[in-house]
Amino acid sequence: MNFDNDDALDRALFALPLEEPPADLRASILTATIYRPAPVFSFRELVALAAVCAVVVWLVAAVVLGGGSLFVHSLQALGAATLRGLSNTSLVLWAAAGGATAIWLSIFTGFQPRTEGKAARRR
Amino acid sequence: MAAAVAEARRIDTTVRPGPEDGELVAMTLGGRSEAFATLVERYDRAVYHLAYRTLRDVEEARDVSQEAFFKAYRSLRTFKPGAKFSTWIFAITYHACCDRLSRRKRYSNEELPERADTGPGPESQAIALDQARRLHDAIDALPEKYRAVITLYHLQGKQYEEIAVVLGLPMGTVKTHLFRAKEQLRKLLGAEEAAE
Repeated sequence: MNFDNDDALDRALFALPLEEPPADLRASILTATIYRPAPVFSFRELVALAAVCAVVVWLVAAVVLGGGSLFVHSLQALGAATLRGLSNTSLVLWAAAGGATAIWLSIFTGFQPRTEGKAARRR
Repeated sequence: MAAAVAEARRIDTTVRPGPEDGELVAMTLGGRSEAFATLVERYDRAVYHLAYRTLRDVEEARDVSQEAFFKAYRSLRTFKPGAKFSTWIFAITYHACCDRLSRRKRYSNEELPERADTGPGPESQAIALDQARRLHDAIDALPEKYRAVITLYHLQGKQYEEIAVVLGLPMGTVKTHLFRAKEQLRKLLGAEEAAE
Protein backbone atom coordinates (compact mmCIF):
# COMPACT_ATOMS: atom_id res chain seq x y z
CA MET A 1 0.00 0.00 0.00
CA ASN A 2 1.43 3.31 -1.09
CA PHE A 3 0.85 6.28 1.23
CA ASP A 4 2.59 8.84 -0.91
CA ASN A 5 -0.51 10.93 -1.48
CA ASP A 6 -2.47 12.53 1.31
CA ASP A 7 -5.80 10.99 0.36
CA ALA A 8 -4.50 7.43 0.60
CA LEU A 9 -3.14 8.09 4.08
CA ASP A 10 -6.39 9.81 5.12
CA ARG A 11 -8.43 6.87 3.89
CA ALA A 12 -6.22 4.44 5.76
CA LEU A 13 -6.39 6.54 8.93
CA PHE A 14 -10.14 6.93 8.81
CA ALA A 15 -10.58 3.23 8.17
CA LEU A 16 -8.71 2.31 11.34
CA PRO A 17 -10.99 0.53 13.78
CA LEU A 18 -11.39 1.98 17.26
CA GLU A 19 -9.75 0.19 20.15
CA GLU A 20 -11.97 -2.38 21.79
CA PRO A 21 -12.64 -1.20 25.35
CA PRO A 22 -12.65 -3.66 28.27
CA ALA A 23 -15.98 -5.48 28.52
CA ASP A 24 -17.00 -3.92 31.82
CA LEU A 25 -15.88 -0.36 31.05
CA ARG A 26 -19.38 0.97 30.45
CA ALA A 27 -20.71 -0.66 33.59
CA SER A 28 -17.89 0.78 35.68
CA ILE A 29 -18.47 4.27 34.24
CA LEU A 30 -22.17 4.08 35.02
CA THR A 31 -21.43 2.80 38.53
CA ALA A 32 -19.10 5.74 39.07
CA THR A 33 -21.61 8.29 37.77
CA ILE A 34 -25.37 7.81 37.68
CA TYR A 35 -25.50 4.74 39.92
CA ARG A 36 -23.06 6.16 42.44
CA PRO A 37 -24.69 5.97 45.88
CA ALA A 38 -25.42 9.34 47.37
CA PRO A 39 -23.08 10.27 50.24
CA VAL A 40 -24.47 9.67 53.74
CA PHE A 41 -23.94 13.31 54.65
CA SER A 42 -24.00 16.31 52.35
CA PHE A 43 -21.24 18.90 52.59
CA ARG A 44 -23.44 21.28 54.62
CA GLU A 45 -24.40 18.50 57.02
CA LEU A 46 -20.76 17.62 57.49
CA VAL A 47 -19.92 21.24 58.27
CA ALA A 48 -22.79 21.43 60.80
CA LEU A 49 -21.69 18.15 62.37
CA ALA A 50 -18.11 19.37 62.65
CA ALA A 51 -19.32 22.61 64.26
CA VAL A 52 -21.40 20.69 66.84
CA CYS A 53 -18.45 18.42 67.61
CA ALA A 54 -16.19 21.42 68.05
CA VAL A 55 -18.65 23.05 70.48
CA VAL A 56 -18.94 19.79 72.46
CA VAL A 57 -15.15 19.47 72.66
CA TRP A 58 -14.89 23.10 73.74
CA LEU A 59 -17.55 22.59 76.43
CA VAL A 60 -15.88 19.42 77.74
CA ALA A 61 -12.53 21.19 77.82
CA ALA A 62 -14.11 24.16 79.62
CA VAL A 63 -15.70 21.83 82.21
CA VAL A 64 -12.50 19.87 82.76
CA LEU A 65 -10.38 23.02 83.06
CA GLY A 66 -12.95 24.75 85.29
CA GLY A 67 -13.05 21.83 87.74
CA GLY A 68 -15.75 19.26 88.57
CA SER A 69 -17.49 21.41 91.19
CA LEU A 70 -18.23 24.13 88.64
CA PHE A 71 -19.81 21.49 86.37
CA VAL A 72 -22.02 20.14 89.18
CA HIS A 73 -22.98 23.69 90.19
CA SER A 74 -23.88 24.49 86.56
CA LEU A 75 -26.01 21.35 86.27
CA GLN A 76 -27.87 22.21 89.49
CA ALA A 77 -28.51 25.75 88.25
CA LEU A 78 -29.77 24.39 84.92
CA GLY A 79 -32.09 21.91 86.68
CA ALA A 80 -33.49 24.58 88.96
CA ALA A 81 -34.14 26.92 86.01
CA THR A 82 -35.94 24.12 84.11
CA LEU A 83 -38.13 23.30 87.09
CA ARG A 84 -38.97 26.99 87.57
CA GLY A 85 -39.88 27.19 83.90
CA LEU A 86 -42.13 24.12 84.02
CA SER A 87 -43.94 25.46 87.08
CA ASN A 88 -44.82 28.60 85.08
CA THR A 89 -48.17 27.84 83.36
CA SER A 90 -47.93 30.49 80.64
CA LEU A 91 -44.45 29.31 79.61
CA VAL A 92 -45.65 25.67 79.35
CA LEU A 93 -48.63 26.80 77.26
CA TRP A 94 -46.42 28.80 74.87
CA ALA A 95 -44.03 25.83 74.53
CA ALA A 96 -46.94 23.48 73.78
CA ALA A 97 -48.35 25.90 71.18
CA GLY A 98 -44.94 26.17 69.49
CA GLY A 99 -44.50 22.39 69.40
CA ALA A 100 -48.01 21.84 67.99
CA THR A 101 -47.43 24.44 65.27
CA ALA A 102 -44.16 22.77 64.28
CA ILE A 103 -45.85 19.36 64.02
CA TRP A 104 -48.76 20.81 62.05
CA LEU A 105 -46.41 22.52 59.58
CA SER A 106 -44.36 19.36 59.04
CA ILE A 107 -47.49 17.27 58.41
CA PHE A 108 -49.46 19.58 56.16
CA THR A 109 -46.79 21.31 54.07
CA GLY A 110 -45.32 17.95 52.96
CA PHE A 111 -41.79 17.26 51.68
CA GLN A 112 -40.61 17.62 48.08
CA PRO A 113 -37.71 15.50 46.87
CA ARG A 114 -34.72 17.59 45.77
CA THR A 115 -34.68 16.63 42.08
CA GLU A 116 -38.37 17.21 41.59
CA GLY A 117 -38.03 20.62 43.15
CA LYS A 118 -35.28 21.51 40.70
CA ALA A 119 -37.18 20.21 37.72
CA ALA A 120 -40.24 22.16 38.80
CA ARG A 121 -38.19 25.33 39.14
CA ARG A 122 -36.83 24.78 35.61
CA ARG A 123 -40.34 24.41 34.21
CA MET B 1 -12.32 11.52 -0.31
CA ALA B 2 -15.72 12.72 0.80
CA ALA B 3 -16.58 9.17 1.80
CA ALA B 4 -13.45 8.96 3.92
CA VAL B 5 -14.24 12.21 5.70
CA ALA B 6 -17.83 11.16 6.25
CA GLU B 7 -16.59 7.92 7.76
CA ALA B 8 -14.22 9.79 10.02
CA ARG B 9 -17.08 11.84 11.37
CA ARG B 10 -18.95 8.78 12.47
CA ILE B 11 -18.03 9.52 16.06
CA ASP B 12 -19.80 12.77 16.60
CA THR B 13 -21.89 13.91 13.70
CA THR B 14 -23.52 10.75 12.44
CA VAL B 15 -27.28 11.07 12.48
CA ARG B 16 -28.35 9.01 15.46
CA PRO B 17 -31.75 7.97 16.55
CA GLY B 18 -32.82 9.75 19.67
CA PRO B 19 -32.08 13.15 21.13
CA GLU B 20 -29.02 15.26 20.39
CA ASP B 21 -26.13 15.37 22.85
CA GLY B 22 -27.11 18.82 24.09
CA GLU B 23 -30.64 17.64 24.84
CA LEU B 24 -29.26 14.64 26.72
CA VAL B 25 -27.12 16.96 28.84
CA ALA B 26 -30.19 19.11 29.59
CA MET B 27 -32.22 16.01 30.45
CA THR B 28 -29.49 14.80 32.82
CA LEU B 29 -29.40 18.19 34.51
CA GLY B 30 -33.18 18.05 34.76
CA GLY B 31 -32.92 14.93 36.92
CA ARG B 32 -33.19 12.21 34.25
CA SER B 33 -29.87 10.53 34.89
CA GLU B 34 -30.56 7.74 32.39
CA ALA B 35 -29.91 10.34 29.66
CA PHE B 36 -26.29 10.39 30.75
CA ALA B 37 -26.16 6.63 30.18
CA THR B 38 -26.94 7.31 26.51
CA LEU B 39 -24.04 9.76 26.34
CA VAL B 40 -21.77 7.12 27.88
CA GLU B 41 -23.02 4.62 25.34
CA ARG B 42 -22.24 7.04 22.50
CA TYR B 43 -18.76 8.06 23.56
CA ASP B 44 -17.20 5.44 25.81
CA ARG B 45 -15.47 3.67 22.95
CA ALA B 46 -14.06 6.86 21.42
CA VAL B 47 -12.93 8.12 24.82
CA TYR B 48 -11.24 4.82 25.55
CA HIS B 49 -9.60 4.88 22.10
CA LEU B 50 -8.19 8.37 22.72
CA ALA B 51 -6.95 7.39 26.19
CA TYR B 52 -5.41 4.14 24.99
CA ARG B 53 -3.73 5.71 21.96
CA THR B 54 -2.29 8.47 24.16
CA LEU B 55 -1.20 6.33 27.10
CA ARG B 56 -0.66 2.94 25.43
CA ASP B 57 -1.66 1.16 28.62
CA VAL B 58 -4.93 -0.76 28.95
CA GLU B 59 -5.38 -0.24 32.68
CA GLU B 60 -4.52 3.44 32.62
CA ALA B 61 -6.75 4.01 29.59
CA ARG B 62 -9.58 2.35 31.45
CA ASP B 63 -9.01 4.49 34.56
CA VAL B 64 -8.79 7.67 32.51
CA SER B 65 -12.01 6.85 30.63
CA GLN B 66 -13.84 6.35 33.91
CA GLU B 67 -12.30 9.48 35.39
CA ALA B 68 -13.23 11.55 32.33
CA PHE B 69 -16.89 10.56 32.47
CA PHE B 70 -16.97 11.07 36.23
CA LYS B 71 -15.55 14.60 35.86
CA ALA B 72 -17.97 15.34 33.03
CA TYR B 73 -20.92 14.12 35.10
CA ARG B 74 -19.86 16.10 38.14
CA SER B 75 -19.34 19.33 36.21
CA LEU B 76 -22.17 18.93 33.72
CA ARG B 77 -23.55 22.31 34.80
CA THR B 78 -20.45 24.01 33.39
CA PHE B 79 -21.09 22.53 29.92
CA LYS B 80 -21.91 25.44 27.64
CA PRO B 81 -25.18 25.02 25.73
CA GLY B 82 -24.41 24.90 22.03
CA ALA B 83 -20.95 23.44 22.54
CA LYS B 84 -20.16 19.95 21.27
CA PHE B 85 -20.24 17.26 23.92
CA SER B 86 -17.69 15.18 21.99
CA THR B 87 -15.15 18.03 22.03
CA TRP B 88 -15.77 18.61 25.72
CA ILE B 89 -15.38 14.98 26.77
CA PHE B 90 -12.32 14.55 24.53
CA ALA B 91 -10.74 17.62 26.11
CA ILE B 92 -11.37 16.24 29.62
CA THR B 93 -9.93 12.89 28.55
CA TYR B 94 -6.89 14.45 26.94
CA HIS B 95 -6.11 16.55 30.02
CA ALA B 96 -6.44 13.48 32.23
CA CYS B 97 -4.02 11.66 29.90
CA CYS B 98 -1.56 14.57 30.09
CA ASP B 99 -1.68 14.42 33.90
CA ARG B 100 -0.91 10.70 33.79
CA LEU B 101 1.91 11.18 31.31
CA SER B 102 3.55 13.92 33.36
CA ARG B 103 3.23 11.75 36.49
CA ARG B 104 4.72 8.86 34.58
CA LYS B 105 7.65 11.00 33.47
CA ARG B 106 8.21 12.23 37.02
CA TYR B 107 8.49 8.69 38.38
CA SER B 108 9.88 7.05 35.29
CA ASN B 109 13.14 6.06 37.00
CA GLU B 110 11.58 4.30 39.97
CA GLU B 111 8.03 3.08 39.64
CA LEU B 112 7.30 2.85 35.99
CA PRO B 113 10.23 1.70 33.91
CA GLU B 114 8.53 -1.48 32.84
CA ARG B 115 5.35 0.36 31.87
CA ALA B 116 7.11 2.62 29.42
CA ASP B 117 6.00 1.03 26.20
CA THR B 118 8.66 1.76 23.60
CA GLY B 119 6.46 0.58 20.77
CA PRO B 120 6.99 -2.35 18.52
CA GLY B 121 10.53 -3.55 18.03
CA PRO B 122 12.14 -4.16 14.64
CA GLU B 123 11.10 -7.82 14.66
CA SER B 124 7.45 -7.12 15.29
CA GLN B 125 7.55 -4.35 12.69
CA ALA B 126 9.00 -6.77 10.18
CA ILE B 127 6.20 -9.24 10.77
CA ALA B 128 3.42 -6.67 10.73
CA LEU B 129 0.30 -8.56 9.80
CA ASP B 130 -1.97 -6.05 8.13
CA GLN B 131 -2.34 -2.45 7.17
CA ALA B 132 -4.23 -1.41 10.28
CA ARG B 133 -1.69 -3.03 12.51
CA ARG B 134 1.15 -1.36 10.62
CA LEU B 135 -0.56 1.99 10.79
CA HIS B 136 -1.22 1.59 14.52
CA ASP B 137 2.41 0.68 15.07
CA ALA B 138 3.54 3.70 13.08
CA ILE B 139 1.21 5.97 15.07
CA ASP B 140 2.59 4.51 18.31
CA ALA B 141 6.09 5.37 17.15
CA LEU B 142 5.19 9.05 16.69
CA PRO B 143 6.14 11.63 19.33
CA GLU B 144 3.38 12.24 21.86
CA LYS B 145 2.15 15.59 20.45
CA TYR B 146 1.82 14.18 16.94
CA ARG B 147 0.17 11.03 18.21
CA ALA B 148 -2.53 13.04 19.96
CA VAL B 149 -3.25 15.12 16.86
CA ILE B 150 -3.44 12.05 14.62
CA THR B 151 -5.71 10.23 17.10
CA LEU B 152 -8.10 13.17 17.27
CA TYR B 153 -7.96 13.56 13.49
CA HIS B 154 -9.00 9.92 13.30
CA LEU B 155 -11.82 10.49 15.81
CA GLN B 156 -13.11 13.87 14.67
CA GLY B 157 -12.18 14.06 10.99
CA LYS B 158 -11.10 17.34 9.48
CA GLN B 159 -12.60 19.46 12.21
CA TYR B 160 -9.41 21.32 13.01
CA GLU B 161 -11.14 23.80 15.27
CA GLU B 162 -12.47 21.00 17.48
CA ILE B 163 -9.05 19.36 17.61
CA ALA B 164 -7.51 22.71 18.57
CA VAL B 165 -10.06 23.13 21.40
CA VAL B 166 -9.38 19.64 22.75
CA LEU B 167 -5.61 20.09 22.71
CA GLY B 168 -5.72 23.72 23.83
CA LEU B 169 -3.52 24.73 20.88
CA PRO B 170 -3.89 27.38 18.16
CA MET B 171 -5.37 26.05 14.95
CA GLY B 172 -2.19 26.84 13.00
CA THR B 173 -0.17 24.68 15.40
CA VAL B 174 -2.66 21.85 15.01
CA LYS B 175 -2.35 22.00 11.22
CA THR B 176 1.45 22.07 11.45
CA HIS B 177 1.50 19.13 13.87
CA LEU B 178 -0.85 17.20 11.63
CA PHE B 179 1.25 17.90 8.55
CA ARG B 180 4.42 16.75 10.33
CA ALA B 181 2.69 13.74 11.84
CA LYS B 182 1.52 12.60 8.42
CA GLU B 183 4.98 13.19 7.02
CA GLN B 184 6.52 11.04 9.75
CA LEU B 185 3.87 8.38 9.28
CA ARG B 186 4.63 8.22 5.57
CA LYS B 187 8.35 7.91 6.32
CA LEU B 188 7.79 5.18 8.91
CA LEU B 189 5.47 3.20 6.66
CA GLY B 190 7.76 3.71 3.66
CA ALA B 191 10.79 2.50 5.61
CA GLU B 192 8.84 -0.52 6.78
CA GLU B 193 7.83 -1.38 3.22
CA ALA B 194 11.40 -0.99 2.04
CA ALA B 195 12.58 -3.32 4.83
CA GLU B 196 10.10 -5.94 3.66
